[in-house]
Amino acid sequence: MNNPIAKIILRIVAVSLFAAIPMLVQAQPSMPDPPSRVYGVSKKAPLPVLAPMTGGDTSEKSIAVDKNVNLSLCVTQGSLKVNGWDRSEIRVFVKDGAKFGFNVQLKSPKTNMPALINLTGLDAKTKGKYAVPTECIWGDEIEIDLPVNAVINIKGQETTTVIDTVRKATVKTIGGSINLRNIAEGAVAVTYEGDVTVESSTGAMSLESTNGNVIVFGSGPSEIGDQFKAKTNSGNVNLQKLDYRQVDVTSISGSVSYNGEILSGGSYNLSTSNGSIRMSVPVDTSCQVVASYGFGTFNYDLPLKIETENIMEGPVKRVVGKLGTGGASVRLTTNSGSIVIKKP
Amino acid sequence: MNANCFDIGMIQAFLDGELTHDESTRISSHVAACDTCALMLAEAEEESALVFPALEREFNTLVPTQRLWNKINDSIETDRNNQSIWSKAWAFLAVALANPTFAAAASVLIVIGISAAVLLNRAPEQPTVAEVVIPKTKVSTTAQIAPAGDVVVDPRSSTPYTVERASTRYDDRRITTSTAVYKTSASTNNASYMPGEESYVKTISSLSKTVETQKSETLRPSERIAYERDMAVVDDAIAKMRREVKKNPKNESAKQVLYSSYQNKIDLLNSVSQKGELMASLR
Repeated sequence: MNNPIAKIILRIVAVSLFAAIPMLVQAQPSMPDPPSRVYGVSKKAPLPVLAPMTGGDTSEKSIAVDKNVNLSLCVTQGSLKVNGWDRSEIRVFVKDGAKFGFNVQLKSPKTNMPALINLTGLDAKTKGKYAVPTECIWGDEIEIDLPVNAVINIKGQETTTVIDTVRKATVKTIGGSINLRNIAEGAVAVTYEGDVTVESSTGAMSLESTNGNVIVFGSGPSEIGDQFKAKTNSGNVNLQKLDYRQVDVTSISGSVSYNGEILSGGSYNLSTSNGSIRMSVPVDTSCQVVASYGFGTFNYDLPLKIETENIMEGPVKRVVGKLGTGGASVRLTTNSGSIVIKKP
Repeated sequence: MNANCFDIGMIQAFLDGELTHDESTRISSHVAACDTCALMLAEAEEESALVFPALEREFNTLVPTQRLWNKINDSIETDRNNQSIWSKAWAFLAVALANPTFAAAASVLIVIGISAAVLLNRAPEQPTVAEVVIPKTKVSTTAQIAPAGDVVVDPRSSTPYTVERASTRYDDRRITTSTAVYKTSASTNNASYMPGEESYVKTISSLSKTVETQKSETLRPSERIAYERDMAVVDDAIAKMRREVKKNPKNESAKQVLYSSYQNKIDLLNSVSQKGELMASLR
């Protein structure tokens, strides 16, 4: 060890190792957490779980608006009732819920009155512990009165919504039923858990429920060409007294029932993957009927003139017939279920 | 002077200390008894006493002669030629490391090298690809990706098959994710699609990937059950109609039902996706 070169080398090695230790410690990757989910599932933050909100305020506010006002709001929780009235004014009443305010985004150039308004919750942040969506309102009861010509747009979480007598309504809720009445120029209603009910309304309709039923009574177009669409995955569709010429109904594992007139030149498509289809139409109905079904039967008690029939063994049986002169087109399709056309 | 006397050469060698111990003893004894040799020794000492001071300067100056220099250079050259390249490098390094500045620079370089090696060792995590082979189908190209562990319905077959998932493992403190790949023959794939069917299949594939990541968060347990049931109904319808169309390509009713079933599946997937979007907008 008296060799000076060996001493130098040893000195260098010692210094190098000493300097490298902290770097090695830092460079060492820390043990990752084990995956919290099965592969393929994104690692987004879980969706907010809302605790029942209690102890809110009861308040009422109103604002003068243009009669064609467009009101938008977001509702976290509660029973929402929207009613049209003959005043150019919006009144909002919240019982045991959030404080709120009117956020005027646009005024009408003609009347200089608010024409585009957001109804905004003011105390949303105080409920941050429960991840309350900002700017949404909540309450035991929420009542809104607005001009009959108003358009209302609602996004909701767990909300029972009733809208009566407005010009147009768009409602999308995650859960809760939607009830629309006297809508003049059409509606869009989507709920992922709950029923959609429409009564005495006109205009283009797009109604959708994931797990609930779609029920429509006494509705028709407000303009020529207005379409009616109803869709549910696991629920039934029940249509009574529709006056639309373009009807498109789809269910996956529910039944479809149609009771009303078949208008000349109309196109009616009713289909379900796993359920029955029942039509009650007047005896003097004129339409061409194409009934396709897999496991099930096709029955009718109207004078249907069979044109082609393929009911051989197989997954699809098809019957094409004509009622009257055949002015409209009716397509009825089910993979598993019966098809019935009968008198009212 | 007798026959035992020494010549002047021996006397001079005695003075210079060049004789052995025995010779020196013999000369010393003889000189003590022989006047002639004693005189010769005395004369030789006097001459040395005169000569050495005169030559002292020359003797004390250690200047190598040109011959010596030549010898030294020749010797170095020979050694140099006989050395290996490693010995030369080592010699250079030894000389260089004797310098403290150079030694410090070398230390820094070594530290940097070790750090770089450690960092390079932390290679980016590459997904391990678990190949899933369709039974009785030649594998040639990747067609679509299915989430691991899920049941995939081959649009050309009614038989669903389960995608095996490569296990997540910890190795050298690195986590390796896995991707299950559903492989099929491209030529077979294209050949088996009916007109317009491919776009449905692609759309469904794309939507499925999105929905699979969302449904666990988006759907409640009851909704999930309903969703899976509806999906099974739709998949069953697709499978039946596909078989029928394959058997009888002219069966327009089966084609229509097939396409409407594809559309139902798209709508079903869309409903989950749209619900997720709505929930996200309400956060």
